[in-house]
Order: sequence, then C-alpha cells, then structure tokens
Amino acid sequence: MRVWQPGSYMTRQRGAEVDDWSWKQTVRRVTTLARLTKPYKLRTALALLSLLAATATGLAPPYLAGMAVNRGIEEGDTHALVLLVIAFLAAGILNWLAGYAQTYFTGWTGERILADLRNLLFRHLQRLSLGFYERNRAGVIISRLTNDVEAIDQLVTDGVTTLVQSTLTLFGTAVILFILDWRLALATLVVLPFLFVATAVFRIRATRAYNAVRVKLAMVTATLAEDIAGMRVVQSFNRELQQERQFRRVNDEYRQSNQQTVVLNGLYFPFVDFLSSVAIAIVLGFGGYLFFNDEILIGTLFAFMLYLSNFFDPVQQLSQLYNTFLSAVAALDKIMDVMDEEPEVQDRQRARELPRINGHVRFDNVRFGYGQTGPEVLHGIDLDVPPGTTVALVGHTGAGKSTIAKLLARFYDPREGAITIDDIDLRDVSQRSLRQQLGIVPQEGFLFAGTVRDNIAFGKHDATPAEVVAAAQTVGAHEFIMRLENGYETEVQERGSRLSLGQRQLVAFARALLADPRILILDEATSSVDIGTERKIEQALHLLLSDRTAFVIAHRLSTIRNADVIVVLEDGRIVEMGTHDELMARRGLYLSLYGDWAAEVA
Amino acid sequence: MVNDTKDFVDAAPAAYRDTFARLLGFLRPYKLSLTVSMVLAAASQAASIALIVITGTVINDAIKPHDTGKLELYIVLILVIGLVKAVCMVGRRFISGRQALGVEYDMRNSLYAHLQRLSFGFYDRHQTGQLMSRATIDLQTVRFFLGYGTIFFFQHVTTLVGVTVVMFVYDWQLALLGLAITPILVGLAYRYSHISHPVLRDVQQKMADVATVAEENIVGVHVVKSFAQEQAEQAKFEVRSQSVFRQSVLANRQRAFYVPLISFIPLLAQAGVLLYGGYQVIHGQMAIGDFIAFNLLLSMLVMPLRMLGMWIGQAQRATASGERIFQVMDEPEEVTDAPDAVDLPAGDGVVRFENVSFAYVPGRLVLEEIDLPIDAGRTVALIGHTGSGKTTLASLVPRFYDVLEGRVTIDGADVRDVKLASLRSQIGVISQDPFLFSAAVRENIGFGVTAATDAQVEQAARLAQAHEFIAKLPDGYDTVIGERGITLSGGQRQRIAIARALIVDPRILILDDATASVDATTEAHIRLGLREVMKGRTTIIIAHRLSTIALADELVVLEAGRLAARGTHEELIETSPVYREIYEHGLLEHELVEQVEAAAS
Repeated sequence: MRVWQPGSYMTRQRGAEVDDWSWKQTVRRVTTLARLTKPYKLRTALALLSLLAATATGLAPPYLAGMAVNRGIEEGDTHALVLLVIAFLAAGILNWLAGYAQTYFTGWTGERILADLRNLLFRHLQRLSLGFYERNRAGVIISRLTNDVEAIDQLVTDGVTTLVQSTLTLFGTAVILFILDWRLALATLVVLPFLFVATAVFRIRATRAYNAVRVKLAMVTATLAEDIAGMRVVQSFNRELQQERQFRRVNDEYRQSNQQTVVLNGLYFPFVDFLSSVAIAIVLGFGGYLFFNDEILIGTLFAFMLYLSNFFDPVQQLSQLYNTFLSAVAALDKIMDVMDEEPEVQDRQRARELPRINGHVRFDNVRFGYGQTGPEVLHGIDLDVPPGTTVALVGHTGAGKSTIAKLLARFYDPREGAITIDDIDLRDVSQRSLRQQLGIVPQEGFLFAGTVRDNIAFGKHDATPAEVVAAAQTVGAHEFIMRLENGYETEVQERGSRLSLGQRQLVAFARALLADPRILILDEATSSVDIGTERKIEQALHLLLSDRTAFVIAHRLSTIRNADVIVVLEDGRIVEMGTHDELMARRGLYLSLYGDWAAEVA
Repeated sequence: MVNDTKDFVDAAPAAYRDTFARLLGFLRPYKLSLTVSMVLAAASQAASIALIVITGTVINDAIKPHDTGKLELYIVLILVIGLVKAVCMVGRRFISGRQALGVEYDMRNSLYAHLQRLSFGFYDRHQTGQLMSRATIDLQTVRFFLGYGTIFFFQHVTTLVGVTVVMFVYDWQLALLGLAITPILVGLAYRYSHISHPVLRDVQQKMADVATVAEENIVGVHVVKSFAQEQAEQAKFEVRSQSVFRQSVLANRQRAFYVPLISFIPLLAQAGVLLYGGYQVIHGQMAIGDFIAFNLLLSMLVMPLRMLGMWIGQAQRATASGERIFQVMDEPEEVTDAPDAVDLPAGDGVVRFENVSFAYVPGRLVLEEIDLPIDAGRTVALIGHTGSGKTTLASLVPRFYDVLEGRVTIDGADVRDVKLASLRSQIGVISQDPFLFSAAVRENIGFGVTAATDAQVEQAARLAQAHEFIAKLPDGYDTVIGERGITLSGGQRQRIAIARALIVDPRILILDDATASVDATTEAHIRLGLREVMKGRTTIIIAHRLSTIALADELVVLEAGRLAARGTHEELIETSPVYREIYEHGLLEHELVEQVEAAAS
C-alpha cells in the first residue's frame, strides 16, 4: 500500500473550470460572499470609500498639469502656475493617504473574511460523518481547505481592488478626456477597440497555453519525484542512462509547451506598445490640427499624453484578473458544495449523555448497507456480549468485520434493528458522550504531529505526566520512548514517521489505554513487525483487552485463540460463534480459515 | 520553508559573490543571444526616448508655428519609430524568452544528472521533499532571475542612463531637480523589498502550518472522531488560522505604508519640474515643447527606478536559491568507479566478506569484523533482531555502500575494483517493500535489461509466480501500475520485483523476505518458484520469517553487528542461544500448525 506523501496536495493543479454560470448559482455565490462580509460592514465601507477617493485623486494630477500649462505657463501667469502646482501636490498627498487607508482596510477585511471562511469550513468538515470521508479522497478534501481558500484569497485581496480601481480609472479617464475636448477624445479612443480585442484574444489563448504548461510541469515534477524516490532501484539495475534520457524528454516537452507562452507574450505586449505609439501620433496629429484651428490648447494636449497610460495599464490589469476570477469562482463553487453536505449521523434533538457504562453490547437483528440505496452488507446480525468479553471478529475480506465495528462506534446508523449498550440504544445518546467511553485503535497507528506525550494523552488532555508514563509502561513502550532524544517530549513528526510501525502501534495502545474506555474496538494491523516488538505488542494486547469489553478485528493467531468468543462472519452473516476449541471441533469454516492462517506462518 | 541547510554540513558557506558568479556561468552558452537581446533592448528604449523627444520637437517645430507639412512628416516619423520599436521588442522577447527556457532546461538536466551519480548514503540522509524543493522552487527563482532578471536589469539601466543624459541635455538644472528624488525612490523600493520578504515567507510558513492540521485531521479523521476530539482540534486549527491572519495583516500594513508612498515620491519631482520648468518657459528660457518632453521623460523614470529597488531583492533571493542548488551539485559522489575499474571476472558467484566493518555514521559501527565466505550456488539466510546488521551486510555486495575496513570480494575480485555497471548487472536485489515505477508491468519487469523481449518478460514473470495474476489484469502486461494506474497488493508487488531481478539472470541474488502478508496458496507458490530460481545462484536472504529457514542451505546469525553463529538449523538449536530465542517465538505458531493437522486427520 502506498504510504501517503505529506504535502502532496501542493502538486495538485489549480483547476479553473467553472461549469455553472446560471443566474441562480451566481446569486448563491454573491450571497455567500456577502454573508461573510456582514460582520465587517464598517471596515468594508471604509475600504470602498477610500478606494473611490484614491481613484479620484489619482485622476486629478494630469488634468491639473494640463491646466498649469494652459492657465499658467501659456498665459505667463506665475501666480496661477504656483496655485495649480500646489493643487497638483495636494491631490498627490490625498492620493497617498487614500492609498494607505484603502490598502489597510481592504487587506484587513479580506484576510479576516478568509480566516472566517477557513474556520467555518473546518468546523463544518468536523461535523460531517465518516461516510463523507470514505466517499471522498483525502487529497481532494484537503485542497478545499488549502488551495481553494487560497484561490479566493487572491480575489478578495487584490482582485476586488484591481477590478474597482481599473474600471473606475478607465471610465473616469474617458470622461475627463471628453470634458477636455470631445473630438480629440473620440479620435484617441479609436485605439481602444483594438486594445480590447487584442487583450481578450491574448488572455484566452494565454490561459490555455499556461494550463498546458502547468500540465507539462506537473509531469516533470512527478517524474523527478519518482526518480528521486526510486533512485536506489535505478542504481541497482544500472538504469541511469535510460532514466536520464526519459527525463530529458519530459523536460523538453515542458520547454516546448512553454515556447507557446513566449510567442504569445512576445506578440501581445509589443502590439500594445505599438498601439500606444499610434495613440501618441493621433494626439499630436489630430490635436495639432485642432490647434491650427484654435480649437485646443497646448496644455490639453499635454494632459492627453499624460492620460494615455491610464488606458493601457488598467486594461492589462483587468485581463490579468481574468484568471484569478475564474479560479476563485471555481474554488467558491467547490467550497459551497462541501458546505451543502449534511452529516449522515446526527444527534437527536434531545439526545442525552451516555452514563458510565458497564459494557454490555447487543446487536438486535441489525441490517445495514452503505448510503441510502447501496446493497445490504449486513443481513440480520444478532449478538449478545456481556461486559468484559473479548470478541474476535474473523472472516474473509468483505465479510463485514469492520462494518460491525463502525456501527458500534456509530459512524453509521443501521437500516433496521438496533445496537444497544447497557440496554441504551446508541441513537438516543450524543455521539460525543458515546465515543468518550469507547476506545478505538485503528489499523495504522496514526499519530499526530506533536510530542509523544501529546499523542498518548490525545484522548485525555488533562492526564498527568505520571498517568502518561504509567500507560506507556503498561504497554511496554516506556523503554523505547526513554531512548528517544527527548524522551516523552520528543517531537513525533507527521503521522509518526520517526517511529517504526511497531513503536507506533504501542503508542496507539498507550493512547487507548489512557483513555480507559469500557468498550474497546481494535483493528489489528496485518503488516509484519520485527520479532522483538511483536512480542511486546502481544503482551500489550493481552493487558489492553482484559477488564473491558473488546471487539477485535483479529489477524493474529494468538489473539484469536485467546478470545472469549470468536464470531465468524461470511457475507454479512454470523455463521459460527464460540470458543477456539468449540469451533475447531465443529470442523466448519473456522477450521478451514485457521488452516490457512497457520500455513501462512509455517 | 524549513531551514534544512543544516543537513548539508559539509558545504562551506559560499560568499554571495561566488554563488552569483557561478549562477551567471549558466548563461555562458547563451552569450550570443544575450548580446543580441541587449542590443534590441537598448534599441527599443532608445526608440521610446526618441518618441518623447520628437513629441517635444513636434510641439515646438510644427504645432506652435502652425506648420502642417512638418506636422505630417513628424507624425509619419512617430509611426515609423513606433513600428521599429515594436519590432525590436518582439525580437528581444522571442530571443530572451527562448534563452530563459534554455537555461531552465540546462539547469534541470544538470541537477538530475548529478543526482543520479550520488549514492545510497546521500539518499539516506535527505528526504525526497527537500530535494524536490530545490529542484522546483529554488530552480524557478534562479531561472526567473537568470532568464529575465538580467535582461531587465540591463534594460532599466539603459533607460535610466539614456533618460538622464537627454534630460541633462535639455536643461541641467531642471534635470538635477527632477533626479533629486532618485536615491530616495530606489532606497525605499529596496527597503520595502528587503523587509517584506521575510514577512511574506512567514505567511507562507504559517499557511503550511494550517495545511498540516487540515491534512492530519482529514487523513486521521478516524482517530479524531474515535477519541471525540473534534473540539480540541477545532481550537488548534483556529489558533493557526488566526496566526495566518495576524501575519498577513502585518504584511499588509507594510504594504500600505510603502507602496502608496513609493507612488507619491515621483509626484514631488513632477511638481518641482512643473513649477521650475514652467517658470523658465514663462520667462522664455525654455520652449514649451521641451518642457512637455521633459515632463514625459520624467515619468519614464519612475518604473525603472522602482524595479531597480526590487531587483536587488530578487538578486539576493536568486543567490540564496542558487546556494541551495549548488549544495546538491557540490555533494561528492561517494561510491564511484575506480579509474582503472574492470569488469567482473567470470565465475559462479563466490562471495567473501573478509574482516568487514561498516558504519553509516562515523563512530557508530553497524558491522564489526565480519568474516563470511559463501560458496557458489549456496543459499544463506541472515537472521537477527532489528538493527543487527542483516540488511546492511547484504547491501555491501552490490556496493551500495563501501566498507570501512576489510573487503568484499566476488569471484576473487574486490568489488571496489569492479565497474559498477558490470557488478550490479550480476546481482539481483529484491528489497523490503519494493519500489515500482508508474509504468506498465512489462516495463517494470524489464527494468534492468535494455530492450527486453516479451518472451523474456513473460518467462521471468512465470518464474516469479506472477504470470497468472498479470494475465488477469485489465491490460495484461501493458497495464500501468502506480500513481497513475492500478494499485497492486504487497504480494503482487513483491512478485513483480522478483521477476525484475530474475530477468537480469544474475549470478547473485539478494532477497529480503519481509513483505505484507500473502495468502497461503500464493505463499507456497512463491516459495516453490524461489527454490527453483535459487538453484545455481548464490543467494543471500535477509530473513524475517521462520518459514524462510526451510529455503536456506545454511543460516548465519547476526547479533549487534557481529557474526554470532553459523550452521544448519539443527546445529544452531544446540549451539546458539540467540538463535534459540528467535526461534522460540515462532514455535507457538508451529504448535498451532500441528494442532490443525491433528484436527484435520
């Protein structure tokens, strides 16, 4: 089984495909975003206001410069010149202050909304039942919280600002130009359609090209990662030359695909630049002609030239926004899909807390199937387990062992029948109170990033250090923990990768032991561990299973043999039940299964 | 980003300038295109300046004096220059674009080639993730800088010089006034780039922390729910989420202060020029056209000045990334061919360990004074607790590591005197949890043989008891496995690995039998197949399971890096307490087997 690579979500592509552009969906999107902004109405308003102020004051200087020429310089009026330059500076200062306010408020509000969205999404994910996690790949879920929230980040911080600012600048400039001289404005604006078309075509082609590049780059990265991870094999088999050739090929494919973007960029930007040269020609040519007819002043020409850049920059910025916008909308849709999911197993309205139980478990004619319409996988399970009994669940893969365990932990609800603990139906109590009294040890021995102590105390945060050590000693983990560099304070890395498989299992046992559950659900690992640790695990198991009710999905011969009751499952039914000796004498399914296991280790 | 430079202890801290110079070395093959790019860049900047100068001239020469003829001429000139400029820009972008891609291509290939030559020891010390970040993120930073940064630098400098000169020609006093703000602007831009970078990097780090909690909670959802820890985990998440928020706000505050300020400073210069220049025009000391041109030139300065400030920051980052890449490139190749290495002499696979000692880390011996002769064709099982040195001993034979003392010989030749390619082609290795590539089954099996025929592949698969299950796969031998394909079970992967080793027809086989459980029937088949295959080949088995004992001609017991005992099973039961202890554990299982057989009869 492939081990999960931490951080693999990072290589996932940012997909920008939005399928649903219906009005209904757009309204939903806007409402979702609006709801997030609600708590920050004041700051949002301030952000907007300062944005408007910044844009407006940004539009003023060229106009004032033009006036300075017309009223001041051309008229020889020094006084007017000074006044206009002061106004010019004032506009600049106001622009500076408005810019500061705008950046601050937009940034703060944007980041706040994002943090809220992250927390909201996480909280919702925690509420969802196990079924959701089993239906969806972990990587996909993780990218909702990371990549998709980040995509919205781009939009909310830079995107909105650029959108508003660029659009206003564009329109504002056009308006001012018309006010200055409508004929020259019209002539100059002739360039605009060419600019728009070229930008649109470029943007669409470039997006496609960049997507292709991303795919090729992912190939390069994947090949590189795989070859590095498998370098030992490459060297063992003298395969260096072929692998290098293969890598070069992939590297080259990437280079070729990137060439496309070079060509696109290489044609677009110079074209835009040429358009600006044409604009200059128009302003001077037509403007000159107007000047000849005494219909325009020099200062106005000056202002026009200063305003030209106000066209070209915003259009390009808006086009860059295109990608950001698409990614963000796609991301928002995906996040909304998650938020729409409802947990399958929910606490009843007036669910009570499960009182301290003895551990008498009963399955009453339980029938179950996954989803609402999935085929039935458990057909009438009847079990009566007195407190303190160790039950070994055995059977072929898919017989229903883990399903029973999941139902007991109420990760799913049965379709028919009931599961009770001490005669209390599981559906009548809160999930939290139930699981606090259950101990579940999954197959893999999953540990969290943190110290060994944190991990052992995971189920009981207020455990004293003495309690932690006691639990570790009981399972036989204390010695190897003390041999670690910082003992109990040693940082266990992501998923406990520092420790061996056997060591992780022991820590998981200690964790379960410390939580001191009345009912234990244990899924035995199947992979082999080294002989020394194997012995320890068996001893630890023995201790763990005594004195409480335990359901074990068993693989070890010793566990099965020592269980109080062995339940043999086949195709979702209990076919045999009893002790090891009873079942051996029966010479039925158990005997044949047992034969297989014994042969495996022979 | 995790500070992992401590892992590359041997690399001496390189001076910035040295690394920088080394980076520029990558441009050497592109000297011609670099030169042409620079010429084109200079030309297009000159054209920009020319356009502004012409603007001024048009106003003075044609518009003011109402000269229609001249106006028409000048307009045509503007269009021509505009076209020339555009063409130069196209040329420059195409050439420097191709060059940038070429540099990236070269660097990536170099890095890869070097990585191939580094030995097992290196890969033991470094995780894939670290190496990947150098090959992707660091490489990207460097290539942006080498590809675009250099030409941009040249372009900006050219613009600045050109504009400054022209401004001085127009009016040196006005020029000084306009340029007064230059150092302030550059300084501010640099300072902002300098202080914002660590803050932004910290934001990334905190976002990674958020992602870690997210990942753990999603992959470990079972455990979280099992222990009813949802609320605690929520609290943990919100703390980190808040951290990101606070850090982002800090970054934003920096931005709010600097960016509008940097936009404002040029306005001061413009105001000054408007005033003083305007004054001069009023008093007839300057033509209005020149005044306008001067103002336009001033606005041309803004972008390059800001870019220059940021460029310094980019150069620093590229150098830092370059350093990290060179750390890998400078790693010495530990296991290489001796200059006079020969092919492996003909023979039947006699392996001798002569007084072999080995340590992964200096000072901590893993193997001590091992003397172990293995005759040709014999199967030896290495037995011992975890850490006793079994796997290490076996990996000395294909020279995955070199001995510290003593020597390992095959058919009389010290492995260090043999060419690696020749040596390894005679040794088949099947390791614990074998690594398979994302490729077709056929390619995986034929990995060690250039152009393996289908017949060869199938024969190897049959010997490895893999043919049956492969035939049942959706595309048979062409089925793609791995990341982009089908996931195989542990047993299936082991069998493909066996086939992979067998197709090479090696003299010596090294096999680690710790695998995920296989069902009893297949287990028996594999055992049968192995027995066949091991005939006539010297085999070293690293034993984890007692069932392996039956396969071996003799057993070697290792304890704490030393040879503890050697012999057959019966001999060792008598003479070796270590062996007895290990065996006893498995005895329980044997008892149960007997019970079954008794019950079945």
